[in-house]
Amino acid sequence: MSSPEESAAAPMVELTNVTKTFHRGAETLTVLDGLSLSIAEGSFEALMGPSGSGKSTLLNLVAGLDRATSGGVRVAGQDLTAMTDGDLAAFRARYIGFIFQSYNLMPVLTALENVELPLLLTKLPSADRKRRAATALRVVGLEDRADHYPRQLSGGQEQRVAIARALVNDPKIIVADEPTGDLDRKSADQILALLEKLNKDFKKTVVMVTHDPEAASHARVTHHLNKGAFQ
Amino acid sequence: MNLASLATRNVGRNRFRTTLTLLGVAVAVVAFVMLRTVISSMEVAVTHAAHDRIGIRHKVSFVMQLPRRYIDTVRQTPGVHSATWANWFGGKDPRNPREFFPTLAVDPASFLDVYDEVAVSPADRERWLADRQGAIVGDQLARLLRLRVGDTITLSGTIYPGNWVFHVSGIYTATRRSMDRSEFLFHWDYLNNALPERRRDQIGWIIARVDDPSRASGVSAAIDRTFDVQDIQTLSMSERSMNLSFMGMMSGLLAAINAISGIILLILLMLFGNTMSMGVRERTQEYGVLRALGFLPKHIAGFILGEAAALGLAAGVLGLALSYPLVQYGLGRWLEENMGSLVPYFRIETSTAAQALGFSLLLGVASALIPAVRASRLTVTDALRRID
Repeated sequence: MSSPEESAAAPMVELTNVTKTFHRGAETLTVLDGLSLSIAEGSFEALMGPSGSGKSTLLNLVAGLDRATSGGVRVAGQDLTAMTDGDLAAFRARYIGFIFQSYNLMPVLTALENVELPLLLTKLPSADRKRRAATALRVVGLEDRADHYPRQLSGGQEQRVAIARALVNDPKIIVADEPTGDLDRKSADQILALLEKLNKDFKKTVVMVTHDPEAASHARVTHHLNKGAFQ
Repeated sequence: MNLASLATRNVGRNRFRTTLTLLGVAVAVVAFVMLRTVISSMEVAVTHAAHDRIGIRHKVSFVMQLPRRYIDTVRQTPGVHSATWANWFGGKDPRNPREFFPTLAVDPASFLDVYDEVAVSPADRERWLADRQGAIVGDQLARLLRLRVGDTITLSGTIYPGNWVFHVSGIYTATRRSMDRSEFLFHWDYLNNALPERRRDQIGWIIARVDDPSRASGVSAAIDRTFDVQDIQTLSMSERSMNLSFMGMMSGLLAAINAISGIILLILLMLFGNTMSMGVRERTQEYGVLRALGFLPKHIAGFILGEAAALGLAAGVLGLALSYPLVQYGLGRWLEENMGSLVPYFRIETSTAAQALGFSLLLGVASALIPAVRASRLTVTDALRRID
């Protein structure tokens, strides 16, 4: 699935024969079925597919939010299958930046505080945390909205704050789950342009789940899933 | 911003619900404070009993009397500094038949010596000592019955039948809370001389001051040993124990008040529990986001418990802020002036305020324990509700 030029780079994500099943009562649901994937460092890749195809489940495995039922998952050189829950949490805090479809900002925190949130897990002093959060807001062009609460921002601005939050701990990988799903075209284009900027200028590996072919066209590689397998 | 402030920010999240909860809990705290104040007010004589006084009564029962001569024996007991005695008279004011107040026949000179917290002016004291029909009245009772120095008052006796005429020689106050300021104190001689021969020279109980409070129990034992060989034996105890035995007569009432206090705490727990469980359920997805960002289950539990603690503390403070003016300046003053014999000092004790605040905080946290454990145990994906 990777382009020839990227396959030469060290893989940032490496999934080997991964299976993921869920149990609903007596029924066993296989969401990912023996799937393998390699994503090179610095790549921007999109996962597409119909609802229930397993794309978000795949993203969860890459981000260390969930565990594979079987198979190998290596991300940023770490073997996620061998990690405890605490190790996975530390892995996410260090290596992963999340962008959700519905932004998921804390409504009681200002834009700056929302961006600062992941840094509370570090030992950085308060002033340093604020400085880094302000820098991240500047990257997404919202330095003048630092003291605004989410309810005072538009959807596009909220998503840009979420991107700043994903960026603030300088992660290796940005995982974005339908980042433009709740936005109008113009705002969606701004967000996609921002993701491209993070990929090109900041050398972040971006893995994005989307239904939108227009959004997927911004990625360098697109993977199509159906019923838990690549097409 | 830090982890603690993040927890407390959520208190103001749903302002309408938080306000209703705060008001509900605050009202419960006011009710709790008032009930505890009723109890502490009734127990004031126990709590503030003098450590250097012991009471001596008939071994069988408080209602049985002792021979007058026993006072001389007590006074001669080593370790006894001074002693006085009293009889429960049970007088009623026919003009105010519904008002209850203690009426005691006492030996004025020794009584004022043993109860040195009774504050009476030198002029009133002289007037009382000189007039065998004289009486001194606590300032609370004087206000209730509208008595002034120089007034004549007739009381009807319930234990000693008949109409008894007294002159109000003075109004006393108290320098310590151990003294009830709603008592009517008159000459024992006046009562004794009016009684038929067979009822004379009987006293209700003896109160003795000891030289060394740390030896009070030894002195009590010595007194009881002295009377063991007599026809009438005694039971001596600390003033605190003696007052407790009086309190025993109201044990049913106190138990009921304690039970109601417990019910109020239960209501408090349910109010908090309802608010916290709704808030946690609504914010499950946010906890999922926090977990995704790298926060641990203990952080999630901490946020929820921190929020509950902040809510509990705020409700407790609000409840106390409402209680103080209500009790200290409103109800308390009215009760002291109108029901002084039952609740002589109706004020919020520091321990009551601390209890109210402590329970509010504790129950707030306790109510959030189950929601906190449940939320922290959710997997990240379950919390985010993503199964796609």
